[in-house]
Formats: sequence, structure tokens, C-alpha cells
Amino acid sequence: MNFLTLAAKNLARRRGRTILTVLGVAIAISVLFSLLSLNSGYEKELNKEVSSMGVHMLAVPKGCPYEAASLIIHGGVIPKYLAAGDLENVSRIPDVELATPMLMHQFLKVDEKTGKSTPHIIYGIKMEEMLQLKPWWKVEGRFFADNETKVMLVGRDLAEKENLTVGQVLPVGPKKENFTIVGILERTGDQDDQFHFFPLKEAQRVFNKEDKITTIAVKVRDVSRISAVSAEMEKIPDIQVVTMTQIMGTIMNLAGSAKSLLLTVIVIALIISAFGIINTLLMSVNERTREFGMMKAIGASGSDIGKMVLMETVIITFGGGIIGTVAALVGSSLIESFVKGLLPYSPTGSLISFSPSLVAFALGFSVALGLICGIYPALKSARLTPMEAIRSGLE
Amino acid sequence: MSGIIEARGISKVYRRGREEIHALKDVDFAVNKGAFVSIIGPSGSGKTALLNVLGCLDTPSGGSLKLNGIETIGLKEGDLVKLRRENLGFVFQQFYLIPTLTARENIELPLLFGHQNGNKRRIDQVLRMVGLGDRGDHLPAQLSGGEMQRVAIGRALINDPKIILADEPTGNLDSKTSEMIFGLFADLNRRGMTLIIVTHNLELARQAQKMYTLKDGRIVGCENLS
Repeated sequence: MNFLTLAAKNLARRRGRTILTVLGVAIAISVLFSLLSLNSGYEKELNKEVSSMGVHMLAVPKGCPYEAASLIIHGGVIPKYLAAGDLENVSRIPDVELATPMLMHQFLKVDEKTGKSTPHIIYGIKMEEMLQLKPWWKVEGRFFADNETKVMLVGRDLAEKENLTVGQVLPVGPKKENFTIVGILERTGDQDDQFHFFPLKEAQRVFNKEDKITTIAVKVRDVSRISAVSAEMEKIPDIQVVTMTQIMGTIMNLAGSAKSLLLTVIVIALIISAFGIINTLLMSVNERTREFGMMKAIGASGSDIGKMVLMETVIITFGGGIIGTVAALVGSSLIESFVKGLLPYSPTGSLISFSPSLVAFALGFSVALGLICGIYPALKSARLTPMEAIRSGLE
Repeated sequence: MSGIIEARGISKVYRRGREEIHALKDVDFAVNKGAFVSIIGPSGSGKTALLNVLGCLDTPSGGSLKLNGIETIGLKEGDLVKLRRENLGFVFQQFYLIPTLTARENIELPLLFGHQNGNKRRIDQVLRMVGLGDRGDHLPAQLSGGEMQRVAIGRALINDPKIILADEPTGNLDSKTSEMIFGLFADLNRRGMTLIIVTHNLELARQAQKMYTLKDGRIVGCENLS
């Protein structure tokens, strides 16, 4: 037998109480671990996503808030359109390498069997220009030409979700026109995996948005000229420019607020669980006062008793740390969907990135929590004189 | 025979609020090595207070106490821990066994505190000495009252102490079991162990070699029995 066995067996005496305390710690550690994983994962995914746009800035209709700009990369639909000459004006700015028009539209696809409708996002694009912006795009089947009609490309995730194959025909638009899938994009790992892509003219025709566009995606010749080009574009009436840095900044700010909220919740949870641990330990120390007296009588020193109580605390918190970390790893998808609901913008990829150093931190934190919470009960029991401890046995 | 315990003019005063309780008043008490001594007296007479002072669990308010020739008054807690660990074994009325430890593990506890844990041979020897050779792996809840007290006695014996101090060791036991426990004490005494036992039970107290009677914190009687 050693001190660790003794401490573990002491905890086994109040099994229910010990388990509840361990679970309290587990919940706090699990949330802490998830948040830390999320913190690193979120930024990584967001950077990846914004750079995968291949675009330096977006021109959107004036009055469109930044959140709408973030909606664009997320596939949201803006209920405003740019004026006809805007594209030409933007293209004319000297440092603009490429300005390509896009129309975004959303339609509801009704499942014939269940009758459930799900929103689908359609991008009307100019394929040739898009391939200049996104040279990494690869396709199963083929890309469409800009002058083709009744053809579409679909993202990989969408194709898998809806069981779509090359050559399949889908009814689209108010007149249910049959569009053929000519290609399925190879996985890009970003939002493009979720969309339908139509030739711009076809998208405008099918949804009765002739000559209308929602966005102009702009690539500049030299990234150091982004702000100069942006200033130039702002001079065009009705246009608002959102650079990718701005979008990222806005999203990170909004995400930052959401994260501080979560962090506050976690700190409160940790404080509550710390008091829970201290309370459990103090109760257990008080109940065993006379027993500690006996231990001192049979040769235990104050530090022996303190060490035993401290070990009991660390077993509780370390156990909670292990359970919490495993729970966070196992339930990460659940936690992710909860957190995604709280964030103003969520990249497509997994937000949670686990690393061994994070696991080590969570477990190290749980041990530190135990040591902090155990100090007072351990000191209290260590300082008892044998007589104080067994006084109630006095005649 | 030499005095293993020599107490001179021991007094003990407890304060309860403004009230002062004189638990021990000018007590002289000496025990020779290898002696079997019992202390009797009514409730509140100071029996346990005396035992706790003799066992260095409590410091007296006045007087001197020599244990094995060493003056204990004024020693630091660390030295007292060492003194208790090397010289004394305690047996309590309530046994104070840890319910989740087996008999063997309960007996091993003092070795753990003395950093000598894992001495299996010594534990087996003590288990046999207290008549529990085949009960070592039982939890306290699986043992009778008498067996639990034997475990507690085993725990007191494991460090091979010079003196066993027992406070009402049969207080929670029936008369037959009490006889058996006293038989065990007598057996230990025959092997040379010094025993000081506090009890209410006069019949059992008379099995010692010397019986002290306490009343109101003073020794009012001392009877040689053997």
C-alpha cells in the first residue's frame, strides 16, 4: 500500500459524492478543453477559407453591412443588386487585375419523398475568370463554358449529400427547367463544396435577374495596392468595398465577443467546481477529524495527513480532467455544432483542432486545480494536533 | 526494573469558555518496563486525559513526563511524532479502522507513515499474533467487533512499540469478547510488552499486575494485584 492507494480508498468511502465531484470537474475541463481547441481551430480555418477565396476584395451594394460581406463567403444571399455599369467602372481602375461579376441566388429544393425543403445556394459565375481566381479548382467531368445553357457544376459535399452524379438532370427555377450536371468539383475544403455553379447568364435568365449581379470579386495586381484600389472603388456611387482583411477582422471581432462570453461561462464553471471540490474535501476532512487523530497517534505526521488529503483532491481533479478531455474528444462534433450556433460566422471545416500539447495542458490544469483546491483542506487537517482531533473522545 | 514512564506532578487544565476544567491535578505516575497496568475510575475522573498525556497526544499544563528516559515536555511536534512512532502503540474504544482498507492494510498504516510500507512478513507475523492469520484480506465490515479490535491491536503492534496504551479497548465489546481481548493483552505482556489500559470494567482491570484508581483528576488508589 502507498499514499496514492490510501487516498483512492478514502475517496471510495463516499463513492456517490466523489463521482459527482469528479463529474463537476469533468464538465468544466471538457468545456475549457473544447474552447481552447476551438480557439486555435477557428482562426486556422478562417484564414484558410478567406485565402481560398482567391479574391482580395469584394464590391457589394452600398448599405450592405459587413456581416453581409461575410455572408457572401458563407453563401448568403443579399437582397440588393449592383448597377449595370459598376463592373465596367471597377475593371477600369488601373491596379485591378481581374474583376468578375457574380450573382448569388437561393432556391428551396423540395424533397419529393419527405416534402421537406432545403435551401440551396446558386452562384452565377464566369467560369473562365473564376478559374483565374481559383486555379486550384479541379473537376470530375468538365467545367462549363460561359456561353453554355442549362448546365451546372456542383460542390463535392453537396453532391455527396444529395447523391448527385455527373450527367444527372435537376429541375431548376420557377419554370423547373432541366439543368445537367456537367461536373462535380473536387473537394476544396471550403464553402465551394456546398454550392451550385451556373454560367452567370443562365443564372440571371432562370431566376429573372437579367443583367443583375450581387457582387464583384476583385483581384489586384499587387497586394500592397489593396487599400489604394479600395479607395478608388469607393468613389463609384452605390458601391461599398469590403477587403478580405476587413472581413476577417470583423469576423474575428465578432468571434472574439462570442469567445469572451464562452470564456466567462467557463471561468464561472471552474470557480463553481473549485468551490465544489473544496466543499467536498472539507466535509470529508471534518468527518474524519477523529480518524486523523488516530493516524497521528499511530505515527502519522502533519505532512503525511496533508499529503493524503492533497492526493485525494488531485485524484478527483485529475480524474475529472481525463474524463472531461475524453468527453470533449468524443463529443467534439456536438460541442462544435453548439459553438457554431454561437459564432457570427463559421468556416466549413472542423473548428476544433486537437493537439497533444492541448491535452497535456488540460490535464496539467486539472492537477493544478486540485493542488489549489486541496491546499486549504490539507493545511487544515495537517495542523490539527492529535488531541484536537480526538478531543470528542475525551471524558 | 527501570521506569519506562515517569510522570511527576502532572496537571491538565482545559478551558471551556470561561470555565476551567482541572482534568488532572498533580499526578505522579510511574510504570516499569514490562509492567501491565490498568487505570480505573468513574466517568470524568481523568483516565483518558492521563492516557493522552502519557501517550504524548496531549501536552500537560504542568509537571514533567519522561518516556524511556527522555523528557517529552517542550519537544517539537516533529520529535513527538518520531517518539510516538518508535515507542508507543495506541488502541481506542472505537477501533478507528478505515472501512475501505482490508485488515492487512489497516495494520500496515503505521508502516506507511513510518515509510516502511510493504513489509509483508511483518504484517503476516502480526496478523498471526492477534489471531487473524486467515482474515487479513477481509474488510472491517466483514469482521466481528472482537476481530476489529484485534486488527486495531495489530495496528498498534506493527511498529514493535515498547508500550501499548489502550483506552477502553473493550468498551464496545461483549463480555466474552472482552475476555478474549484481555487474554491477548496478557499474552503480549508475557512476551515483555508494557501495557497501560484504561477501563471501566473492574473485573478485567484486576487481570493487570497493578491497578490505579482515579477520581476527580487525582490518583486515589494503587493496588498491586499479582
